[in-house]
Amino acid sequence: MDAESTLAAVIPGVPMAPGREGRHTENALVGWILVVGLTLVGYLLLALGSSAGGPSWPRHVFLGLGAAGVISYGFWVFPYFRRLELRLPVGRERWSRLETELITAFEQLGAGDLVRSIEHTRGLPERLAKVSDAASAALSHLAQQIQDSSIEVASAADAVNEIASELASGSSEQAASVVEITAAMEELARTASMIAENASRQAELASRAEASGDAGSASVFEAVTGVEEVQKRISAIASRADGLGTRSKEIYRVLDLITEIAQETHILSLNAAIEAAAAGADGRRFSVVADEVRHLAQRSQESVESVRNLLDEFSSSIRATIVATEEGSKEASRVLERSRAASIAIEDLRRASGDTSRVAQQISLATQQQNSASDEVVMTLREVSLVVQRMTGGLKNLSSTADRLNTLGLEIQLLAQSFHLDSPRSLKHLVESWARQLEKVPGVTEKEAALEELVRHAPFVELGYLMGLDGSTLVLSFNRDLLDERQRSLAAEVRKTDVRTRPWFKAVSRHWRTTLIPPYESMQNSEACFTVCTPLLNPDGSVAAVLGIDINVTGWTRI
Amino acid sequence: MSDLLDQAESRARREEGTHLLVRAGEYSCALPLALVRRVVRALTVHPLPGAAGELEGLAEFGGEPLPVLNLARLVSSPPGANPSYPVTVVVWVGPPEARETIGLSADAALEVVHVPAGSMVAGDGGFVQGEAPVGGEVVRVLNLEALGNEA
Repeated sequence: MDAESTLAAVIPGVPMAPGREGRHTENALVGWILVVGLTLVGYLLLALGSSAGGPSWPRHVFLGLGAAGVISYGFWVFPYFRRLELRLPVGRERWSRLETELITAFEQLGAGDLVRSIEHTRGLPERLAKVSDAASAALSHLAQQIQDSSIEVASAADAVNEIASELASGSSEQAASVVEITAAMEELARTASMIAENASRQAELASRAEASGDAGSASVFEAVTGVEEVQKRISAIASRADGLGTRSKEIYRVLDLITEIAQETHILSLNAAIEAAAAGADGRRFSVVADEVRHLAQRSQESVESVRNLLDEFSSSIRATIVATEEGSKEASRVLERSRAASIAIEDLRRASGDTSRVAQQISLATQQQNSASDEVVMTLREVSLVVQRMTGGLKNLSSTADRLNTLGLEIQLLAQSFHLDSPRSLKHLVESWARQLEKVPGVTEKEAALEELVRHAPFVELGYLMGLDGSTLVLSFNRDLLDERQRSLAAEVRKTDVRTRPWFKAVSRHWRTTLIPPYESMQNSEACFTVCTPLLNPDGSVAAVLGIDINVTGWTRI
Repeated sequence: MSDLLDQAESRARREEGTHLLVRAGEYSCALPLALVRRVVRALTVHPLPGAAGELEGLAEFGGEPLPVLNLARLVSSPPGANPSYPVTVVVWVGPPEARETIGLSADAALEVVHVPAGSMVAGDGGFVQGEAPVGGEVVRVLNLEALGNEA
């Protein structure tokens, strides 16, 4: 079945071919003449056959059938074709209208305006309109699904990118930490080796100290014994010195007695001298004796004094000896006490040295084991470091892949947004709905307030603007959540620019149709953004201005 | 008693210049040997109530009471070191016609010396007759007769 027969089957009254218009009656007349002619030719041939001896009845039958056919054709076929020819202009006019609607619908469809394409199919026949609406609805649904999917893909890519970035950052930190831990473990291993070596030396020194402690303990024991013996001897010396002191006192008493005797003798000699003097010449010899006795007493007294002095020195020495022996005894007691304390301390030190030696040996063994474990840990950490580095590289690749995926999602989104859908997520639909709202607002100030309100409720719109056809800026509305003060001041520079040179203005003014401009560099923040713009119409249908919205590519997933 | 006094006078004349050297405080005093009766260890003195400064008291000598004077105070000597063997010198004092026996407490009895009359420097003319060098030391030569007059 070709397209023409299909169309004829769908559209009742559609002519077979435009080239045969007005010739149906003529064709029907030619057909009737042919039928008459064929009937006559057949009769003549059958008449020739019957003259040659054949039966005559076939000739009559054929003639009757031919007459019936001619009559029937004249009554039924010819009028049919005549009526058909009369209906042809009406069908042609209807076909032309349908063709125009269909072409317009397909043009809208080709422009991606599924809403208007549906509007243009309303004049089509029911079945064709249903099929066209179903196709448009399916396409619209598909475009919406593509939009949603692209947003989800981009959001997922953002999430993956964020996670990958965090993981990459974490992996980098982890790699750095692993390197630091590896260095620390290597240092720990070196330190453990030194500790093991020092512990071995300490164990050896402690063993020597223990042996020295044994020798020292024995020496101190001997010293204690010697000091005890010295103390005994000092006590004996003190006892003897005390005895000498006692004897010295006896000697003093003897000396006192001798002194007294010498004094008595001296006095006696003086009295003798007195008596000798009284005796006159007879007493002169006696006076000599008395004088000798006095001298003898004096010498005795001097000797006693000498002995007393010597005895004083001796007593002083004895007292000094006693004091010295007492101090020596006390010092010996202190030395003995200290020696005993030293003995206890040395014994404690010896035990401590023994314990230290054993602990040091255990430390040495433990640190050797720790050294081995540290080596294994270092090897493992190096492997971990390699794995982490590979993982970091993989995560960076994943991040770049997510970036590419995000870009791809944006491209898909833009492709899907090239369709004008009856959906709040369709930017063309959004911009046109805004345009319809703004068209109803009378003045520029009121339009600015209305656009400000519209932008405020569209978190993904960075900037909304209304431009005159002369390239002037009529209204600028910023999204204060997306643009800071500096960026807003930069965006205000647009007022000084003739926007007719901007690509989006050129694109929308080409067909005065809602247009989506692919990403380009924004004037306000030098970031990539894309624009959707649509003409704003006057009540008479003429273009009054251009409404545009800028959407930053970093925030387009909020659509 | 009178015999003894006579003997003393005669001995004084014979023994003129011979003295008994005693220590009284820081001074050394020479007592005429002729008037010295006895040298004894320091007697036990019983102080007399209301007695003068020089009179130490009464002692017992030969069964009789004997007044004892402090020689150091008599010669106004500063007190010396604590004597190791004090003595009491029993002497006759006073003029020849009225001699009395008294005791002079001294720190020590030293020796019998000869004091030449020419070497003596005149003293106060009283109890201290004069001063004379003896053995490199200046001694006070006492006049016991003058002590009897003062007493």
